[in-house]
Amino acid sequence: MSDAAKQTDATLDSELYKKREKLYPREVHGIFAVLRMLAMVALLGIYYGLPWVSWDGHQAILFDLPARKFHIFGLTLWPQDFFYLSMLLIIAAIALFMFTALAGRLWCGYACPQTVWTEIYMWIERKIEGTSKAQRKRDRGPRNAAYFGIKAAKHAAWLLFSLWTGFTFVGYFSPIHELWTNVVTWNLGPWETFWIFFYGFATYGNAGFMREQVCIYMCPYARFQSAMFDHDTLIISYDEKRGNPRGSRKRGTPSADVGLGDCIDCGLCVQVCPVGIDIRDGLQYQCIGCAACVDVCDDVMDKMGYPRGLVKYTTENALVGKPTHLFRPRIFVYIVILTFVSAALAYALLTRVPLEVDIIRDRNALYTETDQGLVQNVYNLKIINMDDKPQRYRLRVSGLEGLNVIGQTEGIEIGSGAVIDLPLRIEIDPIALKASSSEIMFHIESEIEPEALSIDEHARFLGPVMR
Amino acid sequence: MSTLPATQADRNQLPLIQQIISVMWPSFITASAATIVFFTIFDPIELGQIGGFPSLTRMGGYTIGFFCFWLLTSMSCAMTCYFRRPTNRQARTNNTNES
Repeated sequence: MSDAAKQTDATLDSELYKKREKLYPREVHGIFAVLRMLAMVALLGIYYGLPWVSWDGHQAILFDLPARKFHIFGLTLWPQDFFYLSMLLIIAAIALFMFTALAGRLWCGYACPQTVWTEIYMWIERKIEGTSKAQRKRDRGPRNAAYFGIKAAKHAAWLLFSLWTGFTFVGYFSPIHELWTNVVTWNLGPWETFWIFFYGFATYGNAGFMREQVCIYMCPYARFQSAMFDHDTLIISYDEKRGNPRGSRKRGTPSADVGLGDCIDCGLCVQVCPVGIDIRDGLQYQCIGCAACVDVCDDVMDKMGYPRGLVKYTTENALVGKPTHLFRPRIFVYIVILTFVSAALAYALLTRVPLEVDIIRDRNALYTETDQGLVQNVYNLKIINMDDKPQRYRLRVSGLEGLNVIGQTEGIEIGSGAVIDLPLRIEIDPIALKASSSEIMFHIESEIEPEALSIDEHARFLGPVMR
Repeated sequence: MSTLPATQADRNQLPLIQQIISVMWPSFITASAATIVFFTIFDPIELGQIGGFPSLTRMGGYTIGFFCFWLLTSMSCAMTCYFRRPTNRQARTNNTNES
């Protein structure tokens, strides 16, 4: 990317802020168009379908904000488990970096929500407005009843789809079956209504109007992805050596006969480009790697009787005739980090105990002495049951000889996701105290499944030292 | 390097809608992150009770919290944009002529 980046640096500044002209990308058919379509159907299918899937009697994926707990299939996470989610995000980010280094902007071209929703919105647009040619003609033509009728139909379809998108989005955060009942009975809460419209409006704007501008002006990844690029990264490139000089010629004429390269300068690669660039100008930061130009050019090459691949997936090394290395130090580093973080997350999840105990010492007095001459410390235990079912716990305290616990130590019942405050007094004969501050250990375990559900917490016991 | 010409060019050439987006969009991203972290630690219902809004629901708390964060982050983005303008009138007209 480096050379190309330097070269376009000057033009970039002026291009970045030019006034936008509406693009009418031409529809394209071919192997990569099919792959993009498959990715779109799969990803949108997951997005719209997943909230309706049930698992163990609850919604399979539900970031239940009203109840402050996250269901991810069999796993229930609480705000205290935020750590796991942030680790998941780190894994996703590193995986993205690795795939970018390997395969360039694969994410942008096939999987980014912006690309996927733009694709479906363009599909709707084509179904209603016709081909890109027809759309352009209509936009430049008279503003008559037919014009407004067809535009109204398109926007109505877009809006309906947007609202469904917004509804699905809120369905990830609020149980979707209830939400749907509330929608059809016209009984939606104000906040849910607001977010459905907010997200719907964002989709409508981004996929209907902003489109490639989101990638060019708004996307941070598009700006820094070149940092992950090297000469072995998969890019889409025009083979300049083979293609130039460009020029039109009769179908089936060998290029050598007319003294031209294989590019017939038909301009189709520019017409199909969703970001409106000419791939023949070299690698550009606007290119999202969707491979529409590859498909359309291969088609033209077939018609001309030339070999395919004038525009193709390749690497900078391959373009200058050097071998391409799949495994290189940076890929190795990414794999090591990814393996390490994934293993850490898996370990943390497998050993996770859905029980949390915070021990807070009474701050009013360091210790008190009872009438019997015993030293007493007061603790307040905050016990959180993060299991998906109610639990009954018992606790014992160890660490000092002859200590006596006053308070509830058995049959502590806590509902799923609930927190209780448990005040406890611990008293001991001061003769047993070796230091003014000793360590004691609270052991809390489930009475139902003590093996699987237990936790140890340290605390300090303060008292006078007998000499 | 090319950062200086870019900042000059953007003020002179950036259409209004893009100026607005360049303030609202980065602040939206940072506000989203701040909201997630903040409400991971604090429960809106408890905050509402402390703050004297006992009828506040969680969804309401999240929403209000998000927009407060967005207001703050967009203000700081807008101020950055504002302070990047040269104070010197001469410099400003020169830039316009150059680009």
